[in-house]
Amino acid sequence: MIEEGTVPSDGAHTGDTVFEIEDFNVDYGWGDDAVHAVKNVTLSVRRSRVLGIAGESGSGKSTLVYAATRLLRSPGVITGGAVRLNYVDTSSGDDEVRVVDILAASERELRDIRWSRISIVLQSALNALNPVLRIGHEFDEVLKTHRGNMTKAQRRARAEELLALVGLEADKLARFPHELSGGQRQRVMIALALSLDPPLIIMDEPTTALDVVTQHEIINELAQLRERFQFAMIFITHDLSLLVELADEIAVMYAGNVVEWAPAKDLYYAPRHPYTLGLLSSSPPLHGTRQELVGIAGSPPDMSQPLIGCSFHTRCTFALDKCSKDAPPLRVIDERSRKVACWLHEDGKVVPPALTKSQSTPNPTAVPNESSPEPAGAVQ
Amino acid sequence: MRDDFNQLEARSLTRHYVVRSSRGSGRAKKIVRAVDDVSLRLDAGRVTAVVGESGSGKSVLARMLARIVTPTSGELLLEGSLVPPRSRRTLSYASEVQLVLQDPFASINPVHRIRHSLERPLLIHHTPKKEVEGRALSALARVSLEPPERFMDRYPHELSGGQLQRVSIARALCVNPKVLLADEPISMLDVSVRLGILNLLRDLCDNERVAILYITHDIASARYIADETIVMYAGQVVERSHGTGLIDEPKHPYTQLLISSVPDPNEPLRRAPEVENHLDRDVSLVEGCRFAPRCLHAMQKCRQVTPPAFTVGDAHTAKCWLFDGHGVDVALSRRAQGGHISDT
Repeated sequence: MIEEGTVPSDGAHTGDTVFEIEDFNVDYGWGDDAVHAVKNVTLSVRRSRVLGIAGESGSGKSTLVYAATRLLRSPGVITGGAVRLNYVDTSSGDDEVRVVDILAASERELRDIRWSRISIVLQSALNALNPVLRIGHEFDEVLKTHRGNMTKAQRRARAEELLALVGLEADKLARFPHELSGGQRQRVMIALALSLDPPLIIMDEPTTALDVVTQHEIINELAQLRERFQFAMIFITHDLSLLVELADEIAVMYAGNVVEWAPAKDLYYAPRHPYTLGLLSSSPPLHGTRQELVGIAGSPPDMSQPLIGCSFHTRCTFALDKCSKDAPPLRVIDERSRKVACWLHEDGKVVPPALTKSQSTPNPTAVPNESSPEPAGAVQ
Repeated sequence: MRDDFNQLEARSLTRHYVVRSSRGSGRAKKIVRAVDDVSLRLDAGRVTAVVGESGSGKSVLARMLARIVTPTSGELLLEGSLVPPRSRRTLSYASEVQLVLQDPFASINPVHRIRHSLERPLLIHHTPKKEVEGRALSALARVSLEPPERFMDRYPHELSGGQLQRVSIARALCVNPKVLLADEPISMLDVSVRLGILNLLRDLCDNERVAILYITHDIASARYIADETIVMYAGQVVERSHGTGLIDEPKHPYTQLLISSVPDPNEPLRRAPEVENHLDRDVSLVEGCRFAPRCLHAMQKCRQVTPPAFTVGDAHTAKCWLFDGHGVDVALSRRAQGGHISDT
């Protein structure tokens, strides 16, 4: 049993990890003009756990998972690193752990693991579902391809069962995608992703295009489904507070780097990287006193320009001289419980108080305030 | 409040769309009541927020206020005088009321330099040629794009989303409008730059006395900048309050649902307090509360008679039959201690 809320240390290659990304690099384009979209990223997901990846647009979070599953198209190029999928193969009867080196896998091997071992739910279900095929056809195709021995009636029964899991009636199988609401389409995508019982499901902003009420319902359902089927999840979003509800661990990405990787609650209540801190204080709270928030100055860097030093140093209020020269590596701090890429946490440095909070003194913007609301116009 | 604060007032604005259904018997006509009987007042130096989900009619409302969409019924008053309802939008109206849209990448012409986007409205509004450049520059300065000269000859693709949204606001400010209608101005932007735009809107309101309508689906951002908050559901106003009243103590079951759906890391995942999850809202209903089919507390009356606005607090009204009479304790489970109505 792995201790609650710890990030596996470097190179930890245990049977408990379902998906490992190691020192992974992805470029767009070739040669000198290449844009380094993902830089030296090391992440892993443990069995039945949820890894949240948070970042703004252009931070490389989607590129990372598309490349790691070999779904990235040209001009995206994987320039280095390793990706491994570990799964328990129950078909042979001896519950053997199989390790697949995804970057070295042939098309045939990839075809075998795609959807049956890793499935993916995309942001826009309208684009992910074929507009001229009925919903039932999508289920049929998945089951026909991977479960060749199923009869038509069995496939139909399985599809109905899957829809029931996400709270949809069986009559939706006869519908076309455009006849469903956005939330229903995303539910269909989730049911499809569950259809082969994969050990890992990747969710790329599955609720971003949905209304907040629908989002809440779907997140709830996902949490329950995960409880029941014990699949691991990589959940990508730009909404950090959503991740804290759902994820066990969160990795924050900025300009192609993972800048902080920590257990969800630690990251939320006691951020250690200035960018995480800024991101957390950029969302106005629903409770407490209304006060002016500052957020993060400036805007995310242009990735097509070469970045020297820490990619965040131009926007960072705590930047040191060193930050503009050398890029900080992602290193373990706080007794192995988390990793941060920031020179402020180098040994012997005095860390700014904002970045040394402990979990017991929660982030002030997140504390429900019992006092009565401020009068109107308090933001001044 | 003195009347000279009152910049733009809408009285019972309504917009219906006729939809011909291709399904079912014949070609049945259906009327979609996109905005139904919405009244509001935009005052100088105040931010009014309209919160609603997609399909709640909030954008149609903004377009009616900008006179891009003609209301089916209702009145608009600009600085206290009635705007002729069926006439075309005049240049003078446009110079008083300006609209900022959601997606700056779509609303600014990508083939022209920023200069073009800023100077064009000035020329249309008959600004003397020699003043045009200066006013464009000062508009950029007003939205904190410094130094403005550096931005004038850039192309939109050279700017980030946040900068471009500032240009879009600058373009609206060029003609010195008294009212700024901002339709989801931050929803397309990155989290780290959203706050900058919200603070900018608040500054324009406080320092330059612009009346601002802030339309959003993000109730927390409304809480951050609004002086008055209006919640819309399926074309109707369901709750409104001054300040943060309705967010801190939501009364209408829909507002409560909306707020409890916002991700809150301090709360474990909660089951949404709702019976029928997947019902589409029926925007063609003529009578009755439109939220009733989804509402846990729905009564017979709710489906038959549209609830009027009941006072539920200080400058706080909710259109819900639960508040008919007095002292009804709704005891709606909410994480805030809301839900109790004082005996008045």
